[in-house]
Amino acid sequence: MWRRDMSWGTERERGNGKGERALPFPARIARVVRRMIGAPDYEAYLDHCRTAGHPPTLGEREYVAEFFASKGDGVRCC
Amino acid sequence: MKRLGSVLAWGGISALGAAAFGVLALSRGETVNAAWLLTAALCTYAVGYRFYSRFLATRVFGLDDRRATPAERFNNGRDYVPTDKWVLYGHHFAAIAGAGPLVGPVLAAQFGYLPGTLWLVIGVVVGGAVQDFVILFCSLRRDGKSLGQMAKEEVNPAAGATAMLAVLFIMIILLAVLALIVVNALKASPWGLFTIVCTIPIALLMGWWMKRWRPGKVGEASAMGAVLLAGALVAGGWVAGQPHVAPLFTHSATALTWMMVAYGFIASVLPVWMLLCPRDYLSTFLKITTIVVLAVAILVILPPLRMPALTPFASLGEGPVFAGKLFPFAFITIACGAISGFHSLVASGTTPKMIARESDARLIGYGGMLMESFVGVMAMIAACTLDPGVYFAMNTTPAALAQASQVLGQAGFVVTPDVMRELAARMGETTLLARSGGAPSLAVGMAQIFAGASSALGGKTLDALWYHFAIMFEALFILTTIDTGTRVGRFMLQEIAGHVWPRFGETSWYPSVIASSALVVAGWGYFLYQGVVDPLGGINSLWPLFGISNQLLAAVALCVGTTILIKMGRARYAWVTSAPLAWLVTITMTAGWQKVFSTDPRLGFLAHAASLAGSTSPDVARLIFNDRLNTFVALLFMSVVTILIVTSLREWWLVLSRRKMAVVHEAPYVATGYVVGN
Repeated sequence: MWRRDMSWGTERERGNGKGERALPFPARIARVVRRMIGAPDYEAYLDHCRTAGHPPTLGEREYVAEFFASKGDGVRCC
Repeated sequence: MKRLGSVLAWGGISALGAAAFGVLALSRGETVNAAWLLTAALCTYAVGYRFYSRFLATRVFGLDDRRATPAERFNNGRDYVPTDKWVLYGHHFAAIAGAGPLVGPVLAAQFGYLPGTLWLVIGVVVGGAVQDFVILFCSLRRDGKSLGQMAKEEVNPAAGATAMLAVLFIMIILLAVLALIVVNALKASPWGLFTIVCTIPIALLMGWWMKRWRPGKVGEASAMGAVLLAGALVAGGWVAGQPHVAPLFTHSATALTWMMVAYGFIASVLPVWMLLCPRDYLSTFLKITTIVVLAVAILVILPPLRMPALTPFASLGEGPVFAGKLFPFAFITIACGAISGFHSLVASGTTPKMIARESDARLIGYGGMLMESFVGVMAMIAACTLDPGVYFAMNTTPAALAQASQVLGQAGFVVTPDVMRELAARMGETTLLARSGGAPSLAVGMAQIFAGASSALGGKTLDALWYHFAIMFEALFILTTIDTGTRVGRFMLQEIAGHVWPRFGETSWYPSVIASSALVVAGWGYFLYQGVVDPLGGINSLWPLFGISNQLLAAVALCVGTTILIKMGRARYAWVTSAPLAWLVTITMTAGWQKVFSTDPRLGFLAHAASLAGSTSPDVARLIFNDRLNTFVALLFMSVVTILIVTSLREWWLVLSRRKMAVVHEAPYVATGYVVGN
């Protein structure tokens, strides 16, 4: 029972009952592809800030710059 | 009733897999279809995933979905993000899959299709996937800590430092061998080089697009990049046919080595958004698309395997591709695809920070590695569909081919110069002889499969285009690994040197950035140059060194995993990691010992140096130095891992004999907020 509930809860993030499943289908697909390839997703960041109940600390340019910079620390396998 | 159905279904899958293995193992002389290989692999993966990974998840690790993961606790919308398990599966797979699972099986095909396939399929189920899963689990319970940090905390500080040094040295050998593969694929190939050179301005353009003009619009930039890349691929064919333009892109291996070194240095000091990120996106799209297309193409044409199950080189140890017998060299030649220590860096890197619930680690850690093994099996199929004579002519230097000519002739692996000329012309190249490294022969195999599938579907075959597409596909993500690897190597060097000179450890201090990048590039550049000028082709000495180092890193990861299991009070299950650890230590130490001390000059570094002693060649001093350097590197790897194993054994003994309290450094339990109605 709790397993099934969780599979929905994760997508919604905690508390607000809205999130990826509330997005239109094309936007959901775009978000999935962005996460899969590790691309920045400012809208998701704004969603997160709304859910967490605090204003965004980064503008879009700063967010993208930080996101790309952090990719430089990652390793690609052989 | 449902249980009976499940028993019957899994019994059927097991029986089908066993039957496929039977066909593969018992066929001698007759042609075997690739379908049997695929069936054996897929059935084994299914059974392994369904039963063994479940056992690991529930009994050994005790995954608990009620426990909040780091992604939930530290959710910041950037690097800590709870992510759907299938999305993260794709993300993790894109990070772990590189050239290794493609090239290793191609080189191991020298022993025939059977040894490599068995190692790929069985090794992954009981070794590689377990390693990825256990490190992912351990990192998940430790707020996403890295392998080095876990070694330091759970084993001891010396182990942490040892692991970090091991990673740095492995990185240098890895980058050298990957660069060698690209150099061997692009030498005297104007079409290939033009296409790869074009990827640099394309990536720069994409970088400006994503960062400056349309911040974060990766999709737009990638679509534009893909179109330009396709244009460059087609234009490469035109360039190769122009007598005045083609020489600009026709270079020797030595010239390409200097270009690679310069490229590696520039790429590692440029901001990541400019070259690394866009190239990474391009290669990720290309990688996933090509692997899917290759799988479909193999399923469409189900090609027959022309390589025998076992070749004479399995027992003779005089293979022209690389020296050494099946044991232990088949097991270090195929690292990625069966078990790869490098994966432990990814499994303790970004992935644990994105897992939404603990049980997802099973699909992502264990299942992701199964998919990589499947890529390795497809590479094995692509290599084994080649005529064995063509395969050996492509992967061997003329000198080594001459040495092995008698065995090749007796086995029927002969090829005429006309056949090689015709094949080269069909692939749009001037020659395909002595293209060691595995990438070109894989590209020919893939081109034939793609061409077969497209003609089966009614299209034109376009061998040359498919060949250069495959070369571009391999070179693109090798260059991505070189970009990221040089940068990560630079960070490590800065961190290590920072203990002595703190200013040098500042990653934003440009003199330190330049100096450390130059040192890392010089390190792998030297080994690359050594491989390029090696009379035996470089792969013979460098690939085994890479295999040994990669497997030894896996041994480090399994040591850490075993230590954590013992400390968690799960010593009765420690065999899940200690058994593959024992196997890895056995094969790597045996291979390392043979590479250093074998009396066969083709195999042993010291014997090779001794055989050159009376030579009048002007290069003799350098060749002897290289042999001694390789000896030092192999002994260093073996010593580093011996230290780690000894310190781990001591820790296990102290904990198990209750002389020391078992202290695990797990993050405190926090209940998940996702559970509703529990």
